[in-house]
Order: sequence, then structure tokens, then C-alpha cells
Amino acid sequence: MSYLQRLKDINAKYGMFHAMTDETDAGESRFLFSAKDNLTSLDMETCAGSRILQGYVPAFDAAAIERMKAAGGMLVGKTNMDEFGFGTFSANSAYEIPRNPFDRERSCGGSSGGSACAAAVLEGHVSLGVSTGGSICCPASFCGVYGIAPTYGRVSRYGLIDYGNSLDKIGVLSAKASDLRKYITIMAGRDERDPTSCVQPELKSERRRMKSVAVPKDGIQGLSGDVEAAFNDSIETLRSMGIDVEEVDMPSFRYAIPAYYVIATSEASTNLARYVGMRYGVQEGDLSLKFDDYFSSIRSASFGDEAKRRILLGTFTRMVGYRDRYYAKARQVRQLVIDDYKRILQDHDAVLTPTMPYVAPRFDEIERMSALDSYKTDYLTVPPNLAGNPHLSVPCGYDGNGMPIGMQFVGAHWDEDVLFTMAEEWEKAFDMRRPEVEA
Amino acid sequence: MKIGLEIHVQLPTRSKMFCSCPTTDAPAPNTHVCPTCLGMPGSRPVLNRKVLEYGIMLAKMLGCRVNDTTWFSRKTYFYPDMSKSVQITQYDNPIGEGGVYYMDGKKPIRITRIHVEEDPGKTKRVGDLSSLVDYNRSGIPLAEIVTEPDLTSPAEAREFLKQLIEDIRHVIDLPGDGERSIRCDCNISVGKERCEVKNVTGLKNVERALTYEVIRQTKILKAGGKIDRETRRFDEERGVTISVRKKEFEADYGYIDEPDLGVYHIRELADSIKIKESPQKMALRMSQQYGIDQRMAKQLVSTSVDLAELFETVASRHGTQSAVKWVAGPVSSNWKSLETSGADVSDVMGIIDRFAAGEITDTECGIEIKCLMTGEDIESAKGAAGDLDKLVSDYLDQNPGIIDDYRKNDKAANKAIGFVMKNSGGSYSSAEVVEAVRRLIESRL
Repeated sequence: MSYLQRLKDINAKYGMFHAMTDETDAGESRFLFSAKDNLTSLDMETCAGSRILQGYVPAFDAAAIERMKAAGGMLVGKTNMDEFGFGTFSANSAYEIPRNPFDRERSCGGSSGGSACAAAVLEGHVSLGVSTGGSICCPASFCGVYGIAPTYGRVSRYGLIDYGNSLDKIGVLSAKASDLRKYITIMAGRDERDPTSCVQPELKSERRRMKSVAVPKDGIQGLSGDVEAAFNDSIETLRSMGIDVEEVDMPSFRYAIPAYYVIATSEASTNLARYVGMRYGVQEGDLSLKFDDYFSSIRSASFGDEAKRRILLGTFTRMVGYRDRYYAKARQVRQLVIDDYKRILQDHDAVLTPTMPYVAPRFDEIERMSALDSYKTDYLTVPPNLAGNPHLSVPCGYDGNGMPIGMQFVGAHWDEDVLFTMAEEWEKAFDMRRPEVEA
Repeated sequence: MKIGLEIHVQLPTRSKMFCSCPTTDAPAPNTHVCPTCLGMPGSRPVLNRKVLEYGIMLAKMLGCRVNDTTWFSRKTYFYPDMSKSVQITQYDNPIGEGGVYYMDGKKPIRITRIHVEEDPGKTKRVGDLSSLVDYNRSGIPLAEIVTEPDLTSPAEAREFLKQLIEDIRHVIDLPGDGERSIRCDCNISVGKERCEVKNVTGLKNVERALTYEVIRQTKILKAGGKIDRETRRFDEERGVTISVRKKEFEADYGYIDEPDLGVYHIRELADSIKIKESPQKMALRMSQQYGIDQRMAKQLVSTSVDLAELFETVASRHGTQSAVKWVAGPVSSNWKSLETSGADVSDVMGIIDRFAAGEITDTECGIEIKCLMTGEDIESAKGAAGDLDKLVSDYLDQNPGIIDDYRKNDKAANKAIGFVMKNSGGSYSSAEVVEAVRRLIESRL
């Protein structure tokens, strides 16, 4: 816990935290943790990466943070992220962009980039992330740590600043595999303040081992050479651990991306409607304007480009005349993806793919990408998110520059146990590297 | 002429629709609020199940088909009093659809649907340049009842609303007044195109707004003009409707399902809910069952359902005649004084029992009932009533023709009433005189 004294120096180098504690002594705390900045925290500024929430200090802790604190945790910081979760590289932010611990010219991934960075850099640290379309597994993979997004509804979303309510899941990132089981167990369980958490069965801890995994053919297309090689090596390791690996067809796989972006932006555009420069956050507009002009001016000045793009997309897809063609259709596709996972997971314990098709890109490369390029990057992490299945990213290799590569296991609904066990077993088999940290 | 209404009724839950804030009148603006009804980031809705129950009760009352499953939707629009800029309402699969409401027990008014939704806060203009917002009302549950355009005049719309509201108040125990108001969106077309007058409060204003629209639209059509489809609002002070926006500028609310709330399977709940007989149905049934005039049945029920129930009890013990004589007579005419006297109206039974047993006379029974209701002293009342009864009897003795006239038309009693009022020097209230004249004429029939 010694890093508390150096927290500000470390942050100056990596930019993982938006707000952070001034405490230098952990006191009675049993562990230190950080949380993505879209989880509300009592008395600690919460902005979700957006200018429009600047200065917002919530009146309540998110359920996840509340439970971590109740278990003896001390919240040391709120982690930088893409604005409202809108991105793959944590670069769509009004605040600092976290830097990859293995190469500070590269991205941490997103949108829980600051969380992955903190998990990789800080010794014995656990960070809470949030995944809507891959925002836990992607940065876990880019920063070479373990990350899990549990089943949709497993962890109460009370206090989560919404992106897409039917997709958002709170999970854990850590350099230590056993942290996943430990902290998800602390946060899981019904919470009456989030009705969608109240249908969950009990989280089991039977340490059930994986016997077979399915690799969808579409999930090994479009990979970079390094990722493909590391993934193939990992499959051999899995086989040596006694796990069957089988290629399967998953016809819905390729339709997940368009369906996801329609549903996520439809929901997001309604969630972001509440930010009108009244009641909280930025309120420095010209009050002599009419209300419509007032909030338009605040929103124009305070939302980033990606937030505006998603509001426009999401408003379009739910308009009269388009709703059936886009929003309603996307929900049918979502059901197909759910059914496909169900079918495959009848015969297998998990569906396996690489987590990301390539290693963490450099910031100059990101600048040259179109919005569509970056949306398409999520094609491996989006399907389990759309279906609400729990998914785990484990580090599984490094490229020629020493950049981490990850692979992703997708389990059946409510079956986090088998994923936890996989991570714990994998940790023993895999030679994980930690970044060199000096502040 | 076609008129259809969208009626908003605040439901009498103790806490708000999606949070635990109280629904009672608040001591000051923005005191009955929390992160959820203020729409703070990270807050989310938790459904108050009572809202579904009230919705189902109203759906049943309106003869709607209650859906097996129901869910909520987001209606997005920007207004300062809508804290999330999203109203949680119902779009697909509302609680109830396809009902009929019978006005006067006869004329069918089709009910398109009934759904539940949250009320926004209130905006109050302060001077020309600013407004204040009070979120105490934000999240109060509403039921919205939508009718087909089956109403044919402003007066009929008002009468429909009057009966409907009376029924609603009784069936879900809605308090008579206070903050829980009833608001109405009125759709009206004189020609082909319709206009909607939004957010009209109160029966009288509904009739006024619609009447104004009839005249306005008729004038335009007569002059060879065309009605624009548009949304208007009603200016209560000036009694006119004013255009708010034309159809092409209508908001597209971009409905999507509310992802924070699930699908509610309400079949079992709906089957388990039994609703009270509505006042209009009760009046209709009573007039048929007891062979009494529809007007009398309506009068009893609209005075109070308790009064109508007392009528039924007396009728079952002592016959309809006795119920008409006593309950529709002195009990009914003194009903209002119950509030001040605080008497227990069920004690009337004992008095009528004693009359039926021959223990007290007709006159005594009338006096005792009156005294019970008003809390007046029996002895002085007896004296006064004796004088009143004597005055009436003397008049009837001198004018026996009135009894014959009364058989043909009960308005004949008015002559006697007028005489007694004039010659008693204001010692008796008109209700007392009417009661005494009727009672004494009936005893001579």
C-alpha cells in the first residue's frame, strides 16, 4: 500500500486518475481500490469523462463502491475513461488520456482505460471497470491484466452513470487472477435499487474447471499476425491443460456489431438527454436565453464529438419511420446472438477468441482512424456484451515490442465460477510480465 | 363534430411512482425530492407496484382488456420540469386496451387505452425573464385514459368527464380535491382536421375550451378556410385557445423500451383484483332493482355512495317505500350537516326500526332522523316541526286538489311549498319545508 505517497507522481506519468484521494495513509483499510469515473462516489468528483459533468460531486455512492467500502476498501481514485464510455481507446475524453504502462505513446484501450492502467501499474491494486460493448476486456488486454465483466444484472448498477442500460455491467480489473472472484463476490447480489439485479441466482464458488472451449470461425478472422500467433500458442497451452478446443460456426457473430451500435446509441441518446446544464455539472450558460437555446448552447460546448455523434445516431434510430427498421430489428438480432451462445454453450464451457484483433495502437495511429474503424475494432468483445454473457480477458502473450495480447472467454449466463477458475489456472500456466514502473 | 379526450388522473399512492418520496402536499418547493425524481446521474427507477394495481382497477372499471404483460417506455423531450428529459410512460402493451364507458348507463364512449406514467415537475413563471421549477410533483403516478372521438358536443364531454371522475374517485378512493387534480387533453374536429388543446384543468374549462374551439373552427370552415392540424393551449383567464405548434413541428418522442424496468406479468394480479361497483353503475342498478326514478337513484349516489348503501339496507329491511320515504327524504336532505354534527348515520336504522314497529309516529320519526343528522335538540325540534306540520296540514286540508294534482305530477307540491315558505316567516329552511310537504302529501295519497 506504499504507493499512496507516490500516487500523484505516478498519475503524472500515466494519467490513470481523474480525481484521487489526498490520503497518504491507508489507515485501517484492508485494501485499496479505484473505480471508473462513471460510478458515483460520495464526496469525490464524478464526471464520466465529460465536460458537462465538471464539478459534479454526487450525493451518494454507487452500490458497487458502497459494497467495496463496506468490505474494508479505500477508494483512492476515479479512473479516466472515454466520455460516458464512448470509445475503445480512452481518447474521447474531456480530461486526461491514460497512457499504456508498457509504452506511454500507446493507448490503454477503453473505455475503462484508466482502470486497466491502475491495475497494471499499482502493486496489489484492484480497479472497478464498466463494460457496455467491451470496455473491460479491451483495456485489460491492452494493459496485460485480468479483467472480467460478469453477467448482466450480477452487480447492481445503482450509481452507474448510464451509457446503455440494457448493456452496462460493472466488473473488475487486476493483475492478480484471484482478485476477480474475490471482488465480484463482494459486489454481486440483489439490490432493490436496481431491479435488473434482483433476478440473479446466487453466485457460486465451486471452482468448476473448464473442459472444453469453442472457437467461432468468425472470431479468428481479421487478426494481426502477432495476435494470431499468440492465440494459437495459447490454444496449445489450453490443450496441454486438458481442455478441448473446437472450432464452431456462430452465424450471428458478424451481426452483433451493427445491432450493438443501434441499441447502445438509442439508449445512450435518451440517457444523455438529462444533461441540460441545470441541477448539476456545467451550468454557466447564458440564462437570458430561451430554455431550448440555453441547453443547446451548453450541450454544444460541453459534449465531445463522439458523444454528439452517438446522440445523433441514437436519435435517428428511434425516430418514427426508422424505429422498426433499426431499433426493433437490432433487438431481434440481439436475441439471435443470445440464442447462438446458448446453443454453443450447451456443449462447451466457454466461447474463446482473442480479446482484441491487435495490440494497443499508438496515439498517432488512433488519430488517423475514422469512427467506423474504431467501432469495428470491437467485433470480438461486442457479441458477449450484447448477449449479457459473462466474459473474461486474460493476458496470453506479447508482440515483438513487448505489448500485451489478451484472449477472451465467454461463459454461460450466471456462470462466472468457471471463468474465475480459468483465470486462476491460467495464472499458473502463463508467464505474465509486469511493466517497469518508475515515478 | 367529434371530440376525444386524454384524461390524466393522479393516483393516490403514498409514495411516488419510481422512488420513495412522499406524494403528500410538501411544506416547500423541492422538499419531496431525491436523486431519482431529480434525475441525478446514476439514479434509477424502482416501480411502486401499487401503481399497477390502480391502473388495473381503472382498466377494469372501463371495461378494458387487461394485457397479460405490460412494460414501460421512454418518451424523450426537453422541458425544464422533466428532470431526466425522459418521461417513463407506456407505449406498447399498456395496462389496458379496448374498453367502453356507458354514459348515463346508455351511450357507449369507447376507451382506446389506459396506461400509467410519471408526472413531471411544475414550472412557475417569475416575471418576464425567469421561471422557477419545483420537482415535488416529479414522479407522482398518473393514469392516462384515452377515449375514441365518440363525444359529440362540449356539454356532453363535460357530462362524460363528470360521471367518469365520480366513478374514478369512488373506485380507487381518490380524494376529492387538493393537489391531486385531473387534467385533460382535448381533441376536437368540426370538419376533417383535428386540433388538440393540451393540459386543460377542470370540467368547466374543458367545456369552455371545447366551446371556443367549436366556434373558432366553424367560423374558419364557413369562411371557406381550412383547419390546420395543430396543438393549442387554453388561456383560462381570456377563455381562448392559442396555437402552440403546427403538426409538422410535432415532437417525435423517439419511444424506446425502458431498459431499467422489466416486463411485468400482470395476469394473476389482475385476476385477484376485485373492484367496487362504480357510482354510475350503482345508480343504474338501483333504479332497476327498486323501481325508483333514475333521477332519484342518481341523486342518492352522487350525494354519497354511503347514502345509497343506506337506502339499500333500509329497503331490504323495511321495503322500498320506507327507504324512499326516509332515506331519500330527511336523511338525504340533511346529509351535508353530517360533517358538522359528526353523527353516525347508521343510527338512523334504529329510528326507522322503531317507526316500523309502531313505537313512534310518522312525524316523530322524521324529527328524530333530522335531529340525529343535524345534532339539534329533539324537544325544540318537535315543537317547531309540530308547527310546521300543522301549517302544511292546514294548507292541504284547505286545498285537497293538490293531492290529486300531485298524483299526476309531483311538481304540484311546489304550490304548497311556496305557500308555507311565505307564511312561516323564514323559520324553516327550504329543505325542511320540502321534506315536510312531500311527507305529508305522500301520507294522504
